[in-house]
Amino acid sequence: MRHRRAQTAPARRRTLTGLSPVLESALAGLLGLLVGVVVMAIYGYNPWAAIVALFSGAYGNAAGFANALAKATPLLLTALTFAICVRAGMFNIGAEGQLFMGTLAAVAVSLVTLPPGIGQIARLVLAMVVGALWSLVPALLKVTRGVSEVISTIMFNWIARWLALYLVLNILFDPLRAEKTISIPMSGRLPLLMGKTTLSVGFFVAIAFALVVYFVVWHTVVGYEIRAAGLNPTAAKYGGINSRRTMLLSFTLGGMAAGLAGACYVMGTPPTYSVFAGLPELTNLGFDGMAVAMVGRNHPIGIIFSAIFFGGLNAGGRAMQLRAGVPLDMVRVVNGTIVLAMAIPELIRILPMVKSGVRRMISSVRPRRGADSGDTPGDPDSSTSRGDATQEKERGA
Amino acid sequence: MNLSYFWMILILSLQAMVPLVLTAVGEIIGETAGLFNIGLEGILLMSAFTGVMGAQLGGPWVGLLTGMLTGGAISFIFSVITTRFKGSQMIAGIGINLFAIGFVAFGMAARGVSSLPQGKRLFAIQTPVGMGISPIVIVALVVPFIAYYFLKRTRAGLMLKAVGENPEAADVAGIDVLRVRLLATTFGGILAGLAGAYISVSWVGSMTKDISQGRGFIALATVVFSGLNPLLALVGGFIFGFFESLAVWIRNMPALKGIPTQFIAMAPYVVTLLVVAGAIGRVRFPKALGEPYKRE
Amino acid sequence: MSIREDVKATRAEYFLCARGITKVYGDGTLAVDDVTLDVRPGEILGMLGENGAGKTTLTKMLSGLLPPTRGQVLSPRGIVRFASPREALDFGIGMVHQHFALVGTFTAAENVALGHEHPFSRVRLEQTRSQLEKLIEESGLHVPLDVPVEKLAVGEQQRVEILKVLSRNVSLLILDEPTSVLTPVEVDVLFALLRRLRDAGKSIILITHKLREVSSVTERIVVLRRGRLVGDVTTRSVTRDQLAQLMVGETAAQTVGAAIELAEETQLLGQDEERTGPGILHVTELTVKGDTREVAVRDLSFDVHGGEVFGIAGVEGNGQSELVESLGGLRPAVHGRATIRGVDILGKDPRQIYQLGVAHVPEDRWKLGLVLPFTLAENAILGIQRWKEFCGFLGFLRKRRITAHVRQLMDRFGIQATGPNAPAKSLSGGNQQKLIVGRELAKDPAIIIAAQPTRGLDIGAAQYIRELLVEMRRKGRAILLVSADLDEILALSDRIAIMYEGRFVAIGRPSEFDRARIGLLMGGASVKEAA
Repeated sequence: MRHRRAQTAPARRRTLTGLSPVLESALAGLLGLLVGVVVMAIYGYNPWAAIVALFSGAYGNAAGFANALAKATPLLLTALTFAICVRAGMFNIGAEGQLFMGTLAAVAVSLVTLPPGIGQIARLVLAMVVGALWSLVPALLKVTRGVSEVISTIMFNWIARWLALYLVLNILFDPLRAEKTISIPMSGRLPLLMGKTTLSVGFFVAIAFALVVYFVVWHTVVGYEIRAAGLNPTAAKYGGINSRRTMLLSFTLGGMAAGLAGACYVMGTPPTYSVFAGLPELTNLGFDGMAVAMVGRNHPIGIIFSAIFFGGLNAGGRAMQLRAGVPLDMVRVVNGTIVLAMAIPELIRILPMVKSGVRRMISSVRPRRGADSGDTPGDPDSSTSRGDATQEKERGA
Repeated sequence: MNLSYFWMILILSLQAMVPLVLTAVGEIIGETAGLFNIGLEGILLMSAFTGVMGAQLGGPWVGLLTGMLTGGAISFIFSVITTRFKGSQMIAGIGINLFAIGFVAFGMAARGVSSLPQGKRLFAIQTPVGMGISPIVIVALVVPFIAYYFLKRTRAGLMLKAVGENPEAADVAGIDVLRVRLLATTFGGILAGLAGAYISVSWVGSMTKDISQGRGFIALATVVFSGLNPLLALVGGFIFGFFESLAVWIRNMPALKGIPTQFIAMAPYVVTLLVVAGAIGRVRFPKALGEPYKRE
Repeated sequence: MSIREDVKATRAEYFLCARGITKVYGDGTLAVDDVTLDVRPGEILGMLGENGAGKTTLTKMLSGLLPPTRGQVLSPRGIVRFASPREALDFGIGMVHQHFALVGTFTAAENVALGHEHPFSRVRLEQTRSQLEKLIEESGLHVPLDVPVEKLAVGEQQRVEILKVLSRNVSLLILDEPTSVLTPVEVDVLFALLRRLRDAGKSIILITHKLREVSSVTERIVVLRRGRLVGDVTTRSVTRDQLAQLMVGETAAQTVGAAIELAEETQLLGQDEERTGPGILHVTELTVKGDTREVAVRDLSFDVHGGEVFGIAGVEGNGQSELVESLGGLRPAVHGRATIRGVDILGKDPRQIYQLGVAHVPEDRWKLGLVLPFTLAENAILGIQRWKEFCGFLGFLRKRRITAHVRQLMDRFGIQATGPNAPAKSLSGGNQQKLIVGRELAKDPAIIIAAQPTRGLDIGAAQYIRELLVEMRRKGRAILLVSADLDEILALSDRIAIMYEGRFVAIGRPSEFDRARIGLLMGGASVKEAA
């Protein structure tokens, strides 16, 4: 009888193939839709009509798909904000505020006249800078005073919201229509990719940024250090990596992404190419971006696909509201459920666990048979023993 | 500035303090046991919503009760996900917030819930200066003391602290770590639920889809400020409540009329930042806060 | 006489017995293989075995916390099976773990009270206190009762652990590697207590891998190897060599025996005065503070030369970790100087220190030495990721060169893994350590600081690492070796220093010390007392 050595995977993630994370994301997506269906039914809507409208609106035709991609653009970028910082071991909840600031930076450039070409570039760059700065302050607070970045970024979100409101109403307002900002002039707009839709070049800008992030984080030494510090700050220190630097760098990069998101939106969205007071179109894009990031497993490539999926949900939401009468906030209900489902590690294990839990409940109701301990030999379902096994092997017992 | 000014400011601040204090004390109990719930904002929102629905059906007390049940239920789910399934507390909290934002907006658009008629609102205690004050304020003043006594002087409080500091030690000592965490977080959620329902049923008297205004996060900051001491949470909550109600009473002060309302509205968040930035460093949190417990 | 007959004869005299218990985990690992064993009252039973032999799994089954896959654990009252450590305690089985289950911010009294009373009654600490004071008198385990436990010394913390268990009036006391954190004097106190408990009729299981200890305090010894019970003998009837042989099996026994011999005779691997080269590391009046703001390293001065192994012996917790951390750039020093080939290193960050020719094999490979989710390739450049060889234009990583580098390491050091892109956490402990050591040696360092380099490794891997160090010595490198394994220090070092409470209480050649003297010095005796 051999004692098998722990050569393979003592503490491995319980994924047998690379496919499993994808399966988990898919499972979470399904759960989200399921809960959405239930809520709709409770409120008296026809869930199936809603689902049909949702998906056909998003993916059913070219125009719908284009709108889906347009909606995906800011989500992709705010997701990157969250994901980059998660890789560095931090939680940047501030994409919302950073996005607002980036948007207004892009609008503010309209106060000077710039030629086309320069106009777009200046706006994008300024938006990234402003977004980065708005993100950097909480990071500095964390690094110098140990302030939880979760709390500080959220506070900055609210400060940004009020600041934005002030700027929109008092400085950047459109004299003809006071409740919105001045529109971005032709020289500052991102060209549309498809007429009658909201899809602009901004989508490609976002994709390009995502690819840049991928290369930086996974193929440069700076990215290596960020990831190492995020996974094991003590070992990173041993490896000569300065965790403070990686924190600041990741927040800067994340802020750039969020600022860019706002700029791409306002520069690429007809008909007004502006934002309204209260920022209704931009609200909650930051939070939604987090859902996108999680489903995309915090990896730029995954995030691209995840953003297209969630963009589709958002675009389809409008169709759902129009055709099935379901308020499009339902989409956020689905998003929230997906995130909750993603919070559970190894979601895919839940199903067998539920099965064995039900089995146990049934057997506890039935009368016992004999005085034995009741454990069958080699019980593979017992998650406790599995946990023991991994811990045992780690300790080399 | 005459005396009635002072009373007005006091009453306004106390009213604003209530949701912060209740939520913060609830979270203190949860964090002492080791669970960090960033989803408080979502709980406030949801329970404000269900509170109004309950009040419409059965009156203000039913509304408050509904809110408490909602808060308890959400926190229960949160703690099951994070303890039994060892899920990430951060992500689960974010999920709660997202879900709540969507659900409340959806529910309001679907049903058109908005303001409560006078009869369905909670009664207000009349004060000599002509402003009413909610009786829940009394609850908010008393709860911190009860919580303080509970944590410092009872056996159960000791168990809670052990679970938060070193769950292995607590487990070995025979304490059911998962159950303690479940109970602690659920109880915290009930308090937060009361806070949410208070906002809609007692204080404001109507429901809007962003009625929570970030108070859940300010409550988290209050917790940091308090160093997990419920009495300090009362102090912190009052300070933040004071700055929140600034916008209201500042309209009555001609000297400050020039400041745009938006900057005044920013005040609570800026103050929170300053307090949190100043308070860190002297605060010690339970060692196992934020980490799921795996029994070996 | 077979074991079964033995059992039948004493059937009425067992506290617990295990009959053919086997444990197979869900993923197929066979941890314990058909073990039959008695635990008797009034007896100290030693459980011997290497890391991975199954000792912890076996004791978990014996204390009822883990169900056997086959077989049963019985007591005279019936089957032994509990749902929680609390139930096991109520039954009378108490375990003192290697890693203490104490709540740091609580006092000793509060920690002991934790498991006792009903949840919602008021704290009756006074009652618990007086009971506790009585228990302290009886057991001789003195410990301050009102200090937060995290401020106590490790030995005192262990006493609180033991008191916790004793206060529940257990019949079986299991101690898992209790002496690794104690000075020789504290070990004597502990063993005296164990003997008193035994005389009072309790059963005691002492889990250890130290042959010397198991021979001195037990009546009976069981030896586990790869999950099987390969020996159940009375202590008097075996020699240490025989025990070693049982523990590791035929082929490796010679290695262990050789290591023991070397330690016994304190011979060196090539003691040769002329061979030592120029001074590499010079430390002057180094003072370092520990985590608890107390001074951990006091005014230390010493040199390490090329071609020599300078070994620091001592019980863990006397400042060795802090010393290594300060030399490695992970902890600031309060006072003093340290230079590598004349260049100051204190206050520099690790990368700068590595560039000066320092290699550091850290004592905790999971916390410090590796980023476990990273691949082997990524771990292989930890610390040297910015070398021109691995990182090029615009900071892009030269993946091909990195892969070649790690393949070289895998070949040279025999690291077993599925490939350079396997996650580091999929490797066994031995292979992980080889990766770290290989990575450090590949830096072509002038000095190697090795902290507990063979901890937790099986005999084969440990010996391999030791041989690598010896080879480095032969090549003229300086080696600073810190180890809690005295045999290892004595076998490998040209000079040793014994560290106690932050100071070197003695420095000299291994031949100048005998074990008794070392033991006393490790325990804090002054040089004169130990002479």
